[in-house]
Parts: sequence; structure tokens; C-alpha cells
Amino acid sequence: MGEQKLFFEDIKEGDSGPSRTHKLTRTDLVRYAGASGDYNPMHHDEIAAQAAGQPSVFGHGMFTMGLLGSAIEDYVGVANLKRYKVRFSRQTWPDEELTTKVVVAKKRNVDGKSLVDLDVRVVNQDGEEKVVGEATAELPSRS
Amino acid sequence: MTDDTTSVEEHLKEIVGEITTKSKVVIERGPVSFFADAVLENSPIYKDPNEARKAGLPDIPGAPTYCIGMEAWGKFPEIQSDDPPPGSPIMKAFGPLMAKGGIILHGEQEFVYHRPIFVGDVLVGEGKIVEAYQKESKGKTMTFVVTETNWVDEKTGEPVVTSLFNVIHRG
Repeated sequence: MGEQKLFFEDIKEGDSGPSRTHKLTRTDLVRYAGASGDYNPMHHDEIAAQAAGQPSVFGHGMFTMGLLGSAIEDYVGVANLKRYKVRFSRQTWPDEELTTKVVVAKKRNVDGKSLVDLDVRVVNQDGEEKVVGEATAELPSRS
Repeated sequence: MTDDTTSVEEHLKEIVGEITTKSKVVIERGPVSFFADAVLENSPIYKDPNEARKAGLPDIPGAPTYCIGMEAWGKFPEIQSDDPPPGSPIMKAFGPLMAKGGIILHGEQEFVYHRPIFVGDVLVGEGKIVEAYQKESKGKTMTFVVTETNWVDEKTGEPVVTSLFNVIHRG
């Protein structure tokens, strides 16, 4: 099913998908809160966040996973995605520049399926990791 | 039952296998597109059903992480089951820990996709606790609770997406 963005034969281990860079704003956090229903005040209420000892509001981990998901989707197509997992390693802060990284870790054939394992992560402008994970896509084959 | 003499370890053992949620969710175009905007998806397939069909999809798909937001918009009260699970078993474990302080963090998230979510779907999901354990890290006690939610197509019964949600209490 779906978008034939890429064939299994077109990629090799070590290849990178298109990267996305985005400077995080408070507006991103408000929109994500509304779209996801996650109204934890730590993500939109500066006064409450500072009262809780945080320097400011901080991003939803799931926003960062979503941004990274959009980069993975750009590369392999949403219908080809079979599995996507991340660990949330550090908080994200307004004005940080978040960059997605999607790298082909392994190509494999399992039961006639052409699978691609991806190393995926989001880092800030200093290279600090925010989320780190892995994804697997099943790609169409030319053969 | 919970009382002062029950240890955290016993609590954690007790909650494994407990049902956390039962939900029925209608997947509608507005919230699907809004969520795609919120995670900065830039593909037209999230906006326009004709673009989705051009890409070989039957309708507008949910973004890869939409599963986490769909209950906020499509869980209409009149279609929910009459026997919702009583209270949150996660809070049964975290309640006594939170009383002593600490914070709750989303540690890990995993999705296993059987097929994409599409506008027009009605999905039925049941969540249950599959793991609960403690680990010491840098002098702090970390308590992990993993909830697995399996979403199936109401019409066909086919699996659609499985979500594994790992929350941590850091003492």
C-alpha cells in the first residue's frame, strides 16, 4: 500500500534521509497541546513552570517524536512504516534549534519482506541529544 | 488492596495485567489534519484526500504519532463501553511515590504499525499494564510502568496500531 517514495534497492546502509531543522517556539507548544490534548501546564504556563523550578516552559516529548516522525515519513512514506520507538533523553526548550537525523542502519530480507532499520534522533544546535530511537520500514522492491 | 504495609514491589507486581483503558475513537479529518500541522508535517497527504489517493492511500492518514492524540478528539461519550476500568492502576503504583515527592516523566514510546490510521476509521483500544519495575540510577529510585494499548478496526477486527507507553517516576 501507498506512496512509493523509495525502493529497497535505492538505498544503502549509512545513507541519510532528508533532515529537518526547526527552531522551537512557545506557539509550537500551544498548538501541540491543543492537537494532542496534553494540557500539562509545564508545556504552556510559564508561571507554573517557573514555580515548579523549571527555567521556562519546555516541549512535549511527543512533539519532538512527532517532528522526527515527519522526517521519517518524508523519507520512507507513512504507509511503509512498521515500527517506531524513541527514548526521551533530555527536555527541549523554546528557541532551541532542533534537527532531525535519520540514518539507514541495516537492510534485511525477512520472509520475502524488504526491511530497512533506521537510526533516528533529534539533536539541538550544540549536538545535544533530545530523543534517540529506531524505526523499521518495509520498502517496495524493484525485483 | 493497598495499605501502609504493602511494599512498592508488591504494588508493582499487583498491577501487571490490569486494564488501564477501554476506548472507542472516531477518526475525523479535522483533528487528523490539525495534529499533522502540530507536528509540522509538510506533506499534502495530511490535508487533501485527493493527494492521499494519488499517493495510493484510501484516505488521509494519521501522522505516525497520531495514536497518542486521537483520544483527545474522537472519544465520543455516547459510544463508550458501559464498563470502563475503575480508576488508574498506574496511579495505584505512583500515588504513594508521588506523596513522597519526585516527578513523572515519559521515558520511552513505541508504536508498532499493522496498517496506517485513516480518516473514517472507528478504532477500539484496550490498554493494559505489561511491565512494572524499579531500578536505581545515580542514587535515585526509578519506577517504570509500561502500558500496552492495542487498537483494532471496529468493523473488521484487524489490528491497526500497538502503542507501548513507558512512564517513569523519578524519586
